Parts: sequence; C-alpha cells; structure tokens
Amino acid sequence: MSTQLHATITEETVREISETLGEPEWLLETRLDALSVLDDLEYPSVIQTPGRRWTNLEDLDYEAMIDPRSQSEEKDQIGSEQIRVLSFKDAIDEVPDLLEAHFGSLVDPQENRLIALSTALFTTGTVVVIPAGVDAEDVTIRTTMNGRSLFNYTLVVAEENASATILERQESGESVDDERYYSGIVEVAAGENSTVQYGSLQEFDEQTYNYTVKRGEAGRYATVHWIEGNLGSRLTKTQVSTLLESDNAETRIVGAFFGHNDQHFDLDSRVWHRAEHTTADLVTRGVIDDRSRSVYEGTQEVSQEAWDTSSYQRENTLMLSDESEADASPKLLINNHDTEASHSATVGQINREDLFYMVSRGLPEETASNMLVEGFFVPVLEEIDVEELREDLEAGIAARLTD
Amino acid sequence: MSSEDDLHETDTESQFGFKKDEASAFESEKGLTEETVRVISEDKDEPEWMLDRRLRALEQYHKMPMPTDWPGQPDLSDLDVEEIIPYIRPDTDTRGEAESWEDLPDDIKDTFDKLGIPEAEKEALSGVGAQYESEVVYQNMKEQWEKKGVIFMDMDRAVHEHPEIVREYFMTKAVPPSDNKFAALHGAVWSGGSFVYVPEDVSVEMPVQAYFRMNSAGMGQFEHTLIVAEPGAEVHYIEGCSAPQYATHNLHSGAVEVFVKEDAHVQYSTVQNWSRNTYNLNTKRAIAEAGGRMEWVSGSMGSKVTMLYPMTVLNGRGASDNHITIAFAGEGQDIDTGAKVYHNAPETKSTIESKSISKDGGRTNYRGLVHISDGARNSSTSVECDALMFDNESTSDTMPYMEIGESTVDVAHEATVGKIGDEDVFYLQSRGLDDDDAKQMIVAGFIEPITDELPIEYAVELNRLIELEMEGSLG
Repeated sequence: MSTQLHATITEETVREISETLGEPEWLLETRLDALSVLDDLEYPSVIQTPGRRWTNLEDLDYEAMIDPRSQSEEKDQIGSEQIRVLSFKDAIDEVPDLLEAHFGSLVDPQENRLIALSTALFTTGTVVVIPAGVDAEDVTIRTTMNGRSLFNYTLVVAEENASATILERQESGESVDDERYYSGIVEVAAGENSTVQYGSLQEFDEQTYNYTVKRGEAGRYATVHWIEGNLGSRLTKTQVSTLLESDNAETRIVGAFFGHNDQHFDLDSRVWHRAEHTTADLVTRGVIDDRSRSVYEGTQEVSQEAWDTSSYQRENTLMLSDESEADASPKLLINNHDTEASHSATVGQINREDLFYMVSRGLPEETASNMLVEGFFVPVLEEIDVEELREDLEAGIAARLTD
Repeated sequence: MSSEDDLHETDTESQFGFKKDEASAFESEKGLTEETVRVISEDKDEPEWMLDRRLRALEQYHKMPMPTDWPGQPDLSDLDVEEIIPYIRPDTDTRGEAESWEDLPDDIKDTFDKLGIPEAEKEALSGVGAQYESEVVYQNMKEQWEKKGVIFMDMDRAVHEHPEIVREYFMTKAVPPSDNKFAALHGAVWSGGSFVYVPEDVSVEMPVQAYFRMNSAGMGQFEHTLIVAEPGAEVHYIEGCSAPQYATHNLHSGAVEVFVKEDAHVQYSTVQNWSRNTYNLNTKRAIAEAGGRMEWVSGSMGSKVTMLYPMTVLNGRGASDNHITIAFAGEGQDIDTGAKVYHNAPETKSTIESKSISKDGGRTNYRGLVHISDGARNSSTSVECDALMFDNESTSDTMPYMEIGESTVDVAHEATVGKIGDEDVFYLQSRGLDDDDAKQMIVAGFIEPITDELPIEYAVELNRLIELEMEGSLG
C-alpha cells in the first residue's frame, strides 16, 4: 500500500538514474530531496463530497507497478532546424542554464507525492527551445511506453515573439502482463508575446495508470493553448493549468475524452488570473460508455489584482450507458469584481428526437447514434487548430465507436 | 411549556430556572457534558426516549470532527464550541425578567425603525410586550387549522402532546445526528422550534408563519422545525427570523426536517438576518415521496459566517424540488450557502436558482451538490447561479458538484459572475436617478425572482433590508 511506495525506490536507484543522464549536482539534489519527503506528502488532491472521494489514487498498488529499472520507451522528437528539440540527456549538456532556470519553476517537485515520485525517478524527457521571433509549426514528441513504468519530463521554453505547435502522442508499445504506470510532468514557459500550442493525445492501453501534470505560464500578450485528448488508459488523473501572471496573457484549454469499459478519467483544468486584462476559455466535451467514469473539475480563479478579467468555461458530457457515471464540478473563485466570468456544465444522453429523425431518414440506428456522437465532439474539434491532432482524435473517436 | 412562559423574555444574564446548587455544580463543568444535556431534558420534563436521543447525539457530537477540509470553506477557527455551549442554558429555560424595548441594542432598534416596521409589529418582532396580541392572532389561526386536524405548535410542546409523530420523525430519517457535527450538537441541546403536521389532503391556504417563535421562550440558537405533510397535503411555512436577533450568542445551529408525502406540497421560506457575530450553521432537509413537491425559498443576509445547504431527497417517482436562494454578504461576512438534491427515483425534477451579492469585502459562495442515483431514470436538474459584485474587496465563489450515475438524465449547471453594469447605472442616471438609487434599482431587479416567491410583506422586508445593506447603514 501507500506507505510502501518507496520500498523499491531507493536513494541508490535515484543516484544511478542521475548518473546515467550525466546530471549536474543541483538536479541530483532536487531528486534526492523529493525522494526524502515522499512519505510526508499528500496524494494529489481530488474532489471529495460527503461520503465519497471521486478518484482513489491512494488505493493504487504503486509498489507493484513501478519498476524504476525497467523504464523503457521509444521517443521521436522532431522539430524544424531553427528550434531545438532535445532529449533530456542532450539538454543537460547543451542548455544547462536554461534547464536549471526552468526545471520545477511551475510544477513544484514537492507539490504532492506523485509529483515528487516523478521528480525522483524520471529517466527521460524532452526540452524544446524556440528562440525569439521563430515560428515553429510542427514539433512532434511521440512517447511509446515499453516497460512497467515510465516517468517523463517535458519542458517548453518559447522566447519573446516566438510561436510553436507541439504535438505529444503517448501510447503503449510492447504489452506487459500486468498493470503499469505512466507519469508525466510538462512545464511550458511562454515568453512575452509568444504563442505555444501544446496538444496531447493519450492512447495508452487499458492496463496503464496515468498521472499527468501540465502547467504553463503565459507572459505579457502571450498565449498558452492546451489541447487534451484522452482516449486510453485504465485510469487517468490529469491536471492542465495555466498561470496568467502577466498583463494581457491568455489561455485556452480544450479537452475531449471518450471512455469505455471500466476506464476512469479524472480531468482537472485550472486557470489562475493574476494580472490585468487576462483571458481564459475552457472547453471540454466527453463521452462515456459501458462502466466508465469521468470526473471533471475546472477552476477559474481570479485574484484581487486581476482587473478586467474574462473567463469562460463549459463542459458537456454525453452518457451512452447506464452503468457509466459522470461527475463534474466547475468552480469559480472570484476576488475581483471587474470580471466577466461564467461556467456551465451539462450531462445528458443522445437526443432521442435527433435519433428518431435520422432513423426515419433511413439510417440504421447504430449509424445514426454514432453520427450523433461524432457530431457531439464537433464544437471541441473545431477549437483544435492542429490538423494532425484533430484528424487523429477524430479517427480515435470513430474507432472507439466501431469497437 | 405553558403560554405563560411565552410571555417572558430571554435574559441571558440572570436567572436560569434551575436550582442554585445545581446551577453552580453545572457551571463548574467545562464544555458540553452529559449533565448539561440531562439538565436541559429534565427542565423540559421530557420523556425518556427524547433524553436517550439527546445522549446518543451527544456521543456522536464528541466523536465527530469539525468540518475543516472543504475547499474554500469559511473559517471556523474562531468558533469555540466549548465556550459557547454554556450559553445554551439560558436558552433552554428562560424565565428571566422581561426585557423592555428600550433594553434592546440600539442597532437593532435602529434597524426596525429603518425597516419602517410599525411600532406594534416592531414589538412583536423583538419579542417584547406584544406577545399578548400575537398570542391572540396565533390562537385564532390555531383554531382554524385545528378544525382541519392541522397541528402547529412549538416543538417542546409537541414532544409531550404528539409523542407518536415526533418519535417517528424527530432526527430519525431526515437529519440524523450523525449527519454532521452541528447536527449532532443540535440533537443534544436542541430547544424550541416549530412542529407542523398537516393531515391527508388538507390544504393550509395561508402561509403558516412562525413569527410567534420570536416571542416564545427557548427560541434560542438550537431550534428544531419538523414539518410533516401527509399525502395530498399542502402547506407554506415561513420562518420569521427576518428580524435581527437580539441575542448576543455566537452560534446558531438549528435543524429543519420536512416530510413531503405522496403528492403533498410544502414550501419553506425564510429570510435570515442574524446579528453579525453569529455563526449560522444549520442543517435543513426534506424528503419527498412520489409526486411530492418541495420548495425552499431562502434569503441569507445576516451572520458572520453562514454554512447552510438545504437539501431535498427525492425518493419517490415524479417528486420535485425547487430551490431559490439569495445571499448578500457585506463587510466581514462569509455566506457559504447553496443547495443539495439527491435524485433517488425516476422522473424526478429539481431546479436551483441562486443569486448572490457581495459588497465591502463580504464573501458569498454557492456550494451545491446534485446527485442522480443509478436508476433515477428520466430525471432532470438545472442549476443557475448569478453573482453580483460591488467592489474589489469582495469575493464571490461558485462550487457546484454534480454526481451523475444515470444516463437518461438532463443535467445543466450555469453560473455567471459580474460587476454591476456600468452601462446600466449610466442609463438609469441619464434618466435622472442618482448613483445609489440606480444601483439599488439594479439589485432589486437582480433579486426579483426571489422576492416574487415571497409573500408581499417578506418581499418588502427583504428589499428594504437590501436597501439598508447597500446604504451601509445596517447594524
């Protein structure tokens, strides 16, 4: 159980990983510090209402799933020549100062127990640096997980007036007999007037437990745009968040998920408005089928100094099965009155009249129903500017429907 | 409790009604003890079963933790329940000397004056001198209802006169002491409140108003309201704590239990305006059977901290629930309120409409839970929250939770937050209104859906309270 989390995880292992990567002393220290406080830290916060905890992260058998020495992956890291797309190992040699300046600056290595665990054990990662004024349209990071567990770290640094579109694909490779664990931390620092679009398509097999934290900070007039596609995994707990600490910063978080069998998605989006004239738009649509379950939490936090804030959030869930469960909690925390903010959430099933109409036009019921589900996703798909991601997500949804 | 006792006024300072030696022995105890509870029960000459319930609740109370882990919950660290408990005693038996109108704190007298409440009503509200009048009115009404078999009396008396009904419903099904720490506390030390029983197919056409509560003794901080509407019955109950309380206590922890039987209809309305040093930690719950309809209308104006989430459990097919709530938080106030609905049966419906206003550093929060159980087929719920903020010191949060275990449902939640519209104010000013009047008019429009649901005198009072609040002139 939880207290045994570190039984297979020793200082020796951490030193070994660090040495293999040729890490500087500060990083080894960061890892060791995280390891030493592991047991004192809480699990990531999840929604709790009287009598129930919506996601039980503390019940997972981490000890059984985590094998730090079996971390194995295939990674494609592709980008144009003007920018740097570096493996973590190369980044240590080539951009050490940048790494030291940004590592752990947005996601505190000791924020919770699972982040600390990731910090102590990660063996792989990607560092993307987009120099000032450069437009990098296609950066692809493809992670294929082969071992029992994989801990991954990604850092994106966009300098002033730069722009980048980064597409991350996560999937399981060689199958493993038992349950496995993936953990990823992503930090995005978007400099003044830059735009970073970070799309992710998660298609792990259904034996994989997935914990992911993505956090961006948008500088003045900068935009951090997240796209979150979740189709795979047995259980996913993810937090995607943006700090708007500079004037006129902007963020969009677009999410799509489709759960079936006994998948469990706990999706948490968060935006902190901490400067003037900042804007946020959160849009998520998801479908759940069979015995799957979705937990959605979206928080818009407007601090007292955040004058002239605009903040919008909508979340819609479509339930295809009676055994499924959809939980949602969109939150508004407003401390400045010069704010325009709203959130909305709906849960429902396929509109019977629409279905009837289509069937009456000669479509078989299943086809009609599938078309309606595909149609349900259109409003979020339209928000995705990255063509490849949009198409792949569409294909993934279509594939799930014909399962 | 005799009506004789009702003539007397709460006096927290002087005589408590038990014998001196007992009182001093009792006083030496710290916090809430079994002895306190026994004294209360004995003082009310309660049957054994009620004492047992109190003692079991006390046990629960000692076992349960304070709520501290809710996200963004109001700060309760200044609330020392152990310190407050001894103050219960004067509430449980108040045979002290009558206070006169003049003895009331100035701010409360001022408020009454500003409310434009006539002298006679003022005195009735403040619980001084006018009991005779109000007693007569009460008696007349009582006769009219009694003919139809309606029972409306204070809770302490109901324990003696209708033990079979009270025994069945009192903190057994709707609000068990195990529900939360303050429900447990309430179960141990409750005192006073209203008991309303409406027999099958009887409609009580006029709202049952509990103004009289303010007059009667023991109407302290732990009142219990129990409403039972038998199949097909109909009643609108209004709790008259719209007047500021003169009590100086800091904890109000009442409980309201409502039983809406098949096809019955109960509306419960209240406007609370507790004094600004009060922790208002209430538990209110209704259980609705098939076809039953429950309506909650509540305005939360006063108190330092309010944590109140009236809840309806829809247990029968086609049962429905409406919540209309308004909260206004001014300086130093944290009003954390909302609604809870459990849909446990098919074709159940609920709507929640919440409006809040925060001003001068006040905080309002909508905290709500809509739960749709697996099997509650074709149920629907809609939640709408609108928050209006006046200034940058204020805070307004919205924290709804939706647990949906059934697919054939229709669930919608919507919330907006905004400041008072500059353009609206400008428009009204350009039509000759001054800034204050313009804002007041906008607020009046904002809360209209709530005031529409209230009987006219409450609507007027609510509007007037909000006007006073906005002038910053309310105590």
